[in-house]
Amino acid sequence: MSSRALWLRWSWRDLRARWAQVFALALVIALGTGTYAALLSTSAWRTQSNDASFALLHVHDLRVALSPGSTVPEGSLLTVARRLPHAAEVAGARERLIVPTQVAGPNGVLAPGELVGTGSGPGPAVDGVHVTAGRVLPASGHGASGGGPPAVVLDLAFARQNGLPATGLLHVAGGRQVAYTGIGQSPEYFMGGGGGTAVFLSQKTFAVLFASLRAAQDLAGAPGRVNDLVLTLKPGASPAMLRDELRAALAAMSPPVSATVTTRSDIPSYRVLYDDIQGDEQLWRAVAVLVLAGAAFAALNLTTRIVEAQRREIGIGMALGVRPRLLAARPLLFAAQVALVGVLFGIGVGYLVGLPLAGVFESLLPLPVWRTPFQAGTFAQAAVIGFLLPFAAAAWPVWRAVRVQPVEAIRVGHLAARGSGLAPLLGWLRLPGRGYHQIPLRNVLRTPRRSALTLLGVAAAIATLVTIIGLLDTFRATLGSASAELLRTAPARVTVSLDSYYPVTGPAVAAVRRLPAAGRVQPGLLVPGTVRAHGTSVSVAAEVLPPGALWAPALSAGRLTGGLVLSRKAAADLGVTAGDLVTFRHPRATSGGLATVSNPVRVAGISPSPMRAFAYLTPATAAPLFGLTGMANLLTVLPSPGHSAADIQRALLNVAHVASAQSVRAATDGLRSSLDQFTGILNIAAAVALLLVFLIAFNTASIGTDERAREHATMVAFGLPARTVLGLITAESVLVGALGTVIGLGAGYGLLAWLTATTIASVMPEIGVTAALSAGTMAAALLLGAATVAAAPLFTLRRLHRIDVPSTLRVAE
Amino acid sequence: MGVMTGPGRLPEAERRPPVDARAGAAGTRIDLDGVCRWFGAGDTVVKAVDDVNLHVDEAAFVVVLGPSGSGKTTLLNLIGALDAPTAGTIRLAGRDLTTASRAERTLIRRHTVSFIFQSFNLFPALTAVENVQFGADVAGRPDPAGIAREVLGQVGLAERAAHFAHQLSGGEQQRVAIARALATGNPILLADEPTGELDFRTGVQILELLRAQAQAGRTVLVVTHNREISRAGDRVIELSSGHIVADGPPAGGKAAIADLRW
Repeated sequence: MSSRALWLRWSWRDLRARWAQVFALALVIALGTGTYAALLSTSAWRTQSNDASFALLHVHDLRVALSPGSTVPEGSLLTVARRLPHAAEVAGARERLIVPTQVAGPNGVLAPGELVGTGSGPGPAVDGVHVTAGRVLPASGHGASGGGPPAVVLDLAFARQNGLPATGLLHVAGGRQVAYTGIGQSPEYFMGGGGGTAVFLSQKTFAVLFASLRAAQDLAGAPGRVNDLVLTLKPGASPAMLRDELRAALAAMSPPVSATVTTRSDIPSYRVLYDDIQGDEQLWRAVAVLVLAGAAFAALNLTTRIVEAQRREIGIGMALGVRPRLLAARPLLFAAQVALVGVLFGIGVGYLVGLPLAGVFESLLPLPVWRTPFQAGTFAQAAVIGFLLPFAAAAWPVWRAVRVQPVEAIRVGHLAARGSGLAPLLGWLRLPGRGYHQIPLRNVLRTPRRSALTLLGVAAAIATLVTIIGLLDTFRATLGSASAELLRTAPARVTVSLDSYYPVTGPAVAAVRRLPAAGRVQPGLLVPGTVRAHGTSVSVAAEVLPPGALWAPALSAGRLTGGLVLSRKAAADLGVTAGDLVTFRHPRATSGGLATVSNPVRVAGISPSPMRAFAYLTPATAAPLFGLTGMANLLTVLPSPGHSAADIQRALLNVAHVASAQSVRAATDGLRSSLDQFTGILNIAAAVALLLVFLIAFNTASIGTDERAREHATMVAFGLPARTVLGLITAESVLVGALGTVIGLGAGYGLLAWLTATTIASVMPEIGVTAALSAGTMAAALLLGAATVAAAPLFTLRRLHRIDVPSTLRVAE
Repeated sequence: MGVMTGPGRLPEAERRPPVDARAGAAGTRIDLDGVCRWFGAGDTVVKAVDDVNLHVDEAAFVVVLGPSGSGKTTLLNLIGALDAPTAGTIRLAGRDLTTASRAERTLIRRHTVSFIFQSFNLFPALTAVENVQFGADVAGRPDPAGIAREVLGQVGLAERAAHFAHQLSGGEQQRVAIARALATGNPILLADEPTGELDFRTGVQILELLRAQAQAGRTVLVVTHNREISRAGDRVIELSSGHIVADGPPAGGKAAIADLRW
């Protein structure tokens, strides 16, 4: 027999002798490798799917959006584009009319939304609509026969979240009925609409209707008017240059227009879909590293045990003059084989995890094109890491073992006894109960390295669990604080948006006041703008609050009067506090319409709201800024006695000039329910993390049972029942596991805080998110962690019951 | 009947096995009749113990002598209720081990026999006095800590009570092991090569300790391959290939432990 075959056969026997431990460790490696491969594969899938989806529908490169309430004659924006110095760089252009609306549909659906009417124009389509069910829009813009109600395509995310069929009838603001011929998606609304980068959270509560420009003009009562322009550029064209040219051209328009020019990267859905990938990848890498770290610790534990068990054989080898390199071969071969088995399992695990993961992402991020090709490179990377990490962890105890003096290696019996580790330090600490009840704690302290490795492995797994579930807690806490602030007073109020600015004493507002369901009606203004300070710009929606307003923000600093009240998130991003001066860029009413101007404004106060866009000011501050005294585009309505917010919303459907109406409570409830979609993923993540904890704890308990076989046999020989021995083993496991869980909780919270401050802050800049862990999550992690490690030793009960006491006590290891 | 301490469980004292009234020293009697212990099957049967008849009526210092493979340790394990015979009957302190269940054998080990091992088998996580206390705890004796200190003092290690096993010499560890066995209060001590890992002088000390227990009324069974040590016994049972080939006073007469040389 060749020596190579001998070593392999010997190593195979080593594997077989410890098959349960080998299997557990291989499974841990498999989970780490598979998790790494599957999760990081999603990054490539999402990038490729995003690219294909946006390309399919020709997402715009530049967009001109007029200030709310402003419109220009149809064709004038296309003319501006045609007259740009580099107009030849423009591939396609489309004018649009985008107006807020209210949508009422089957199943009691009632939500604010947006009507997007797109016209025809030169070049290929821009921001096309991909119809996933039903039919595309008819050419006439109306029903199939050219008559009937205006035809629209309903946004896919809204339809799916509200369980709506592929076709049907809806009522929109103004009391008009529309027929949606299908459900579909458009690039700007891939993740729903409304709410900035909180788009994803508002899929259920914000309805987008895609229509022809004619149909939109008809429904909005704005024939021949547009307020939006989208452009695609030819390859190689400079979006920044064309953007600057557009801004200059718009500023030169007469009469003046107030408009913003944005690029593709300013599209909330676009930014979230791409930035999210990087952020998620950071999270997945952290998770995978934690799991692989757990595998490395477990590998170190097991290899140390193997080496200890082979200590005499190594010593005999030394005595026979075998080279240290060859002595190391057997345990290293063992470690390599375990790592290899783990990696092979891991490829399978990764593939199996990837299948439902693809489905989850497809349902959470519905895109027209989904590409999920097998990522060979990612799997190869995972395989290399999954092999090297535990193998490297095993190399260290092997290296130590072959450096021991031969005479030390071959000592047996009491002459080979080791020290008591840290146990003497706590010899004075006596736990209640019998003398042998001291054994679990002493055993933990007696083997500090093994205890530490197990503890770290458990901590790594619990940290993973806490980080993932903590993300949900964090968002829930953020939404909770936002909704608590909004519901602090007048919780039943309804926020009504008008489609333009109207006199407070005029018929548009009077029509709302006349509604039987409307109690108190408070006119106000909501004006979009940009606040700039220290080189940073923040988009805000500034609400003018009249004296005695139904609701006003609680302030954490400053006061409501004398300037602009910013949210704490906006103030933090701008680096300003109450009393500082900022530059406020906003629309101002002029004789010719709205013009964009900039003014220095004092920061009057800071509100605790986490929503960056929320800003407030009093009429006295607003008057000289906006020039809209006596005008209103926002009404806050309290229901009259006997009526509800929903009654007001339904009644407003038939009122002219009402764009949308939403109760404050319904908006926050909708956001919260969107988070529930993640519960399924989190349950899977929690189960995987607990499985890891179990495997690591089982590994250690099994190793301990191996190593302490003589002690256990002695206990049995003295008449201690096997269940009592198991109790001691379990107590030891729980001690280490409980400490590991506590450390894991702390580490998980630390990782959560880091992710919140870095990744989430960059992906969702519009929301001030602060890491939070609910008491329920902490308690669940502690209980589950402790229960899982307590259960692990139960799997050694069979071995205890079957212990061959005479053989165990006689045979020297 | 004592107070029930759990569903269907008698208190510890009530669960001690009954003692045969015919026994001279009540708990110290050992009876083996036609005991066999075979391993394997068919052509590969190994008869470790074959048709052994052995009776120990009273407290004595008995040496079981034999070379390696003679079956002496197997015999010890059978007497100590660690193993069950293939054939024959074993009665210990009047209690029939042959038909005893696993739980009953556990009770036997708890209340009737105590082991002393060649390699001591102390618990490394416990100090010397805690190791001794373990014996008293398992046997359910009152004031186990007090018993442990007392017994440790009897073996001359009172000043080493707080030391862990690895801090003790081989002889000290074996003395702790003996103390642990004594702390149980059990009437029968079974020692498997108790001097095997010790030097001569220490081995003599250990034998003297064991002898003293026999004089105190216990039955002490010492297994050894060392013929010189067998001279210290009141009775020597010599095994060869699983059979008893001699049973009686030591050949050449009993010697004082101090006069032994090996």
